[in-house]
Amino acid sequence: MQATSGSALRARTRGNASALRTAAMGYAFVLPAFALYLFFVIYPFFVSIYYSLTKWDGAQPVKQFVGLANYARFLSDRLVWQSLQHNVVWIILGTITPIAIGLFLGILLWSGARGIVFYRTVYFLPVVLSEVVIAIIWNWIYHPLMGALNLLLKGVGLGSLARGWLGDPGTALPALIVAAIWSYYGFCFVVIMAGLQNVNLELVEAATIDGANGWQRVVHVIIPELRHVLTMITAVTLIGGFNVFGIVFVMTQGGPGTATQVIATYMYRKAFQESEVGYGSALAVLMTALSLVASYIFIRLRERGEQ
Amino acid sequence: MTVRTRTVPKRRSLTRRPLGFWLTKLVQYTVLITFALVCIVPLFWVVSTSLKTTGEIARNPLGLPPSPHWENYRQAWVQGRFGKYLRNSIYVTLPIVLVGLALACVAGYGFARFGFPGSGVIFYTFLLGLMIPFQSIMIPLFYILKDIGFIGTYWAMIVPSIALNLPFGIFFMRAFFLGLPRDLADAALIDGCNEFDVFWRVMLPLAGPGVSSLGVFQFMGAWNSFLLPLIYMQKEELRPLVLGLMFYRTRYTQNYPLIMAGAGIVMVPIIIVYVIFQRKFIQGLTAGALRG
Repeated sequence: MQATSGSALRARTRGNASALRTAAMGYAFVLPAFALYLFFVIYPFFVSIYYSLTKWDGAQPVKQFVGLANYARFLSDRLVWQSLQHNVVWIILGTITPIAIGLFLGILLWSGARGIVFYRTVYFLPVVLSEVVIAIIWNWIYHPLMGALNLLLKGVGLGSLARGWLGDPGTALPALIVAAIWSYYGFCFVVIMAGLQNVNLELVEAATIDGANGWQRVVHVIIPELRHVLTMITAVTLIGGFNVFGIVFVMTQGGPGTATQVIATYMYRKAFQESEVGYGSALAVLMTALSLVASYIFIRLRERGEQ
Repeated sequence: MTVRTRTVPKRRSLTRRPLGFWLTKLVQYTVLITFALVCIVPLFWVVSTSLKTTGEIARNPLGLPPSPHWENYRQAWVQGRFGKYLRNSIYVTLPIVLVGLALACVAGYGFARFGFPGSGVIFYTFLLGLMIPFQSIMIPLFYILKDIGFIGTYWAMIVPSIALNLPFGIFFMRAFFLGLPRDLADAALIDGCNEFDVFWRVMLPLAGPGVSSLGVFQFMGAWNSFLLPLIYMQKEELRPLVLGLMFYRTRYTQNYPLIMAGAGIVMVPIIIVYVIFQRKFIQGLTAGALRG
């Protein structure tokens, strides 16, 4: 990028007509998209910040400017902290588990099993399903009387563990996370599998000759070789964990009570159901800030990894 | 290893392998197949439930339908207005994908081919969009769409989706065009093509694989999009398939066969298309979700 704009500059100072034409051509190709993007993404991004400094119900013609009051309100709003805490739990469990499963399956297949295409197709299948379909599937699995989970538990003599998984505040959040993991581990698997194709086999063989057992080879050779892929997928999953909405909204609406409320569902409730547009916008800014910080850390990590 | 087993007759190699080898294989395949079943069985169970009556479900929730009740699907299709919602999904998804691809290709090519003052700033502004989640702009965007009269029309979903897809699309296509030989474009220019011809007739056809990957990614994003239509397409007649399914489910909470038939209507076609084009789907979705 630096080089191309530099050459354009050089050509322009020469007063070269063809360079001018090239620049004009560049604008002709880029500006339609840029105009659309500025108006529908960048502009609302700043308006969001402005809204977060006001008290507004979405209907009044006047937005009352309140400064940082909405942000100060975070401190006393127990639900913000509770929601954030749920996001953190979601991020920890929802990042580690699918990546671990994906890595495990990836290494199993990589170490010489047949039928890669079959397993890849099957594991990836839930990734193409909509969140609403996933929610319906798992609501049905968790059904207190007719759900597969409780019936299965009863079948193996663990009937005492059976419960209304989504109705119990203690199990609702983990139950949602399990549904999310189910819909995601195939994705981790595919990405890790792609990374495994680039692992240097000589390193693995050398470790075997040096007497490393399977576990040691995985921990000391394969995982370090996969670090790029693992950082990338961790970052993507982690950032996604701040934005999770659909599964929670459809399966529990944040309930029972507020047991599964996450920051996005709380924001939706404030802005669109309780008409607190200003406060909802402040939550949106908080969410953006968290995502940006996570993205920034990720980019720095990747840069360091590439050096 | 492989060389040796190929030269030795099969039966002898079987007996030569130690017991540990077969045990490892057994564990390996058991685990692989278990996780495959974990993926498939819930989907199978949904379809099986959708073909039963309420009574049959209560009597034997896990069993197969004694005789398939296909009429559940007809009933769900009519009551749930899925025909209407399917049309809505097509109406919004097609322009989102086609216009989105066109803009991403044109702008991506612009960045890759031409140097112009400000190109760096514009490009980084686009990159910023990769890090902005939809939730951070959804509230003001609702009022903007309302002010310009888009709420209550298909435009409320089409235009913002295209704009939100631009950063990744441009980033992706730019990288793709940068990977194509520049000499090719220059040669075509010398042969008398103008820049638009070079783009349209020479470079774009070469970018086919990139365009189709991006197309799959944007198609799935638009087809499964949930939060955006939930907010911007509240009118019943505008609902896309996924949103229609959600409201259908809240209306028939206790009627499990119909809910499952609704879920089946939404998921089965996508699964069939996915299985046929699985390579392209996996490529497009992983590239998209990993941002290149």
